Amino acid sequence: MKTKETIRKIVKTIFFIEIIKGLALTLKRLFSHAVTIQYPVERRKIAPGFRGQHALAKDVEGKAKCVGCGLCATICPSQCISVGREKGKVSRYEIDTLRCIFCGFCVEACPYGAIVLTENYEYSGYKKEDIYLTREKLLFNWDKFMAGKKGEEYFKRFWRPMSEDFETPSIQAIWRGRH
Amino acid sequence: MELVEKIFETRELNVNMGPQHPATHGVLRLVLDIDGETIVKVTPYVGYLHRGIEKLGESMSYFQALPLTDRMDYVSAMANNIGYCIAVERLFGIEVPERAKFIRTIVGEMARIANHLLWLATHALDIGAMTVFLYCFREREWILELFEMICGARLTVTYPRIGGVKNDVPAEFLDSLWKFTEEFPTRIPEYETLIDQNRIWLKRTKGIGVISAEEAVNWGLTGPTLRGSGVPYDIRKHMPYDAYDKVDFEVPIGTEGDTYDRYRCRMMEMRQSNNIIRQCIEKLPPGPIMAETPNFTLQPKDKMMPITHPTKEHAFYIIEKACKGCGMCLRACPAKAIFGEKKQPHKIKQDLCLGCATCYVTCKFKALTIVPGGKGFPEEKLAELAVPPDKVPEDIKKAQEYLVKHFEFIKRGPKVPQGDIYIATEVPKGELGFYFISDGSGKPYRMRVRAPSFVHAGVLPRLCVGHLVADVIANIGTIDIVLGECDR
Ligand code: SF4
Ligand code: SF4
Ligand code: SF4
Ligand code: SF4
Repeated sequence: MKTKETIRKIVKTIFFIEIIKGLALTLKRLFSHAVTIQYPVERRKIAPGFRGQHALAKDVEGKAKCVGCGLCATICPSQCISVGREKGKVSRYEIDTLRCIFCGFCVEACPYGAIVLTENYEYSGYKKEDIYLTREKLLFNWDKFMAGKKGEEYFKRFWRPMSEDFETPSIQAIWRGRH
Repeated sequence: MELVEKIFETRELNVNMGPQHPATHGVLRLVLDIDGETIVKVTPYVGYLHRGIEKLGESMSYFQALPLTDRMDYVSAMANNIGYCIAVERLFGIEVPERAKFIRTIVGEMARIANHLLWLATHALDIGAMTVFLYCFREREWILELFEMICGARLTVTYPRIGGVKNDVPAEFLDSLWKFTEEFPTRIPEYETLIDQNRIWLKRTKGIGVISAEEAVNWGLTGPTLRGSGVPYDIRKHMPYDAYDKVDFEVPIGTEGDTYDRYRCRMMEMRQSNNIIRQCIEKLPPGPIMAETPNFTLQPKDKMMPITHPTKEHAFYIIEKACKGCGMCLRACPAKAIFGEKKQPHKIKQDLCLGCATCYVTCKFKALTIVPGGKGFPEEKLAELAVPPDKVPEDIKKAQEYLVKHFEFIKRGPKVPQGDIYIATEVPKGELGFYFISDGSGKPYRMRVRAPSFVHAGVLPRLCVGHLVADVIANIGTIDIVLGECDR
């Protein structure tokens, strides 16, 4: 018995069994499909509700929903929203994207459903001003990324909490058994 | 002779390692005194990633400070969030709904797997096994995508909330996660094939960084770093939180207390986490995901005023007789549309008013009221149409109440009881503790974080001295530190 063990050990040592096993695995993987993505050509599928660049929502008439109450600016943990008002209108609404941590609290704080986070994550620039979000850019983002059904869906699913979160909703995901 | 001595003179060398070194897992700086290849002394310097999270937390409301905890241990942000929320909940006696507890347990264990995968990947990479890195990231990516599905972010999730979780989990999430738990146990042997028996791996890990059970306890080690030495201490078992008392799992422990045993511990832990997730998915009960604690959670949006009764069409009006002139609304109005002297009735300049309802929720004397559909009407007409606050329809009143709470929650922070508490949770790295002192204002008087990485970084000199320079890398890896959490 003991000799058998010893022989096995010697064979293992001489023939690099464990290393060959590892290499075999690597070789096997060589013929399976790639898990990496060739980024600028291929793009990852972004899940709905992704917390990307902001947009200011418009209502059905195409007017900005934001009334300028400033709740988003108050709750923002990194204090990067600034709102200015003039003559009963929101004259200035700016988000310093470089400071934003994309926590999504502004969306949750706004009682008017006026600000959303879009799924745009490709907004690099050479200058700070390029990615500084002004009111115009934010409204433009809405048209570009969120207008129509998508915006509605966003508010329905990701503008939380809703009253159904505090009670048992009629449709709720539970485990349906193994298939 | 003198010349020969001068040539062969040996002396200790003082080497600086880090703070920017790929193997120090962030920005740890070590000053090594070495004698040839042997370590004589190690001095860790921390603080290069200090952002003052504890102090920042004191200037924010409990709700607001949540995203800060993401930035501590960014490798397993979910676990940090959960720890924070549980601490605040216990401090204020909030009972979380069952479903939220299960969801948190699921995502917490997902974070554990994701963390251990990253740990294994980088640890193996440090020691020289490049392939494992790629295999681990394949699975980690899956978990991160699942995180994105439920909360829209992959790394800094901010998913749990005080009193529950942000979103309910969709059915696709459960399906995909179930598939993951079915496949993952077949993936772990793959990593093990690559390194478990590999003689280089064994040489680099066996007998390196040995620490006995007693010493490990004395150094304050926690988590897998402690369990590798054979101490079965796991907060999930000893002081169960969330749904850990409703699932079966084992706490894997090592025997030798060396780098290899800690590696084995973490590998076994991933299997246990996988089991926990499966049990939780099966047991996930239907029910609410947020606790009904108006003081600590945001209000339901669909019951709140701008949604039930859009304020944009309404005009806001101060009833002269009722106004005490306290000036609260004047100070609160973001548009500076309210004018008036102290103790005199105030007035809203309608052309400056945004219609934001801030004044409406601020007035304590029932002087402010709304004129439904009155936007743009002249002053006299408003005076005529204004409904006295006690005659406002019941549904508007209800909606207003919700809005008042919402505004107060955000503007002033919730009213909270006084007290202090220390709550620890088992994050992938060890015991993450939050200590809060509440002085009754909406913000913590003191927020202290017991970060496992900080404690673990302290044990480095003990582990390294006497070993070779190359083993410093293995030792940094085996204690599993993240400097974001260490420096806070
Ligand atoms: S976005 Fe919403 S919360 Fe922010 S100022 Fe506009 S209405 Fe108020
Ligand atoms: S996402 Fe968070 S940090 Fe960014 S603007 Fe909104 S509240 Fe501020
Ligand atoms: S808060 Fe009410 S009572 Fe005080 S000044 Fe404004 S309207 Fe008058
Ligand atoms: S509704 Fe808003 S803008 Fe108008 S007076 Fe009241 S607080 Fe000021």
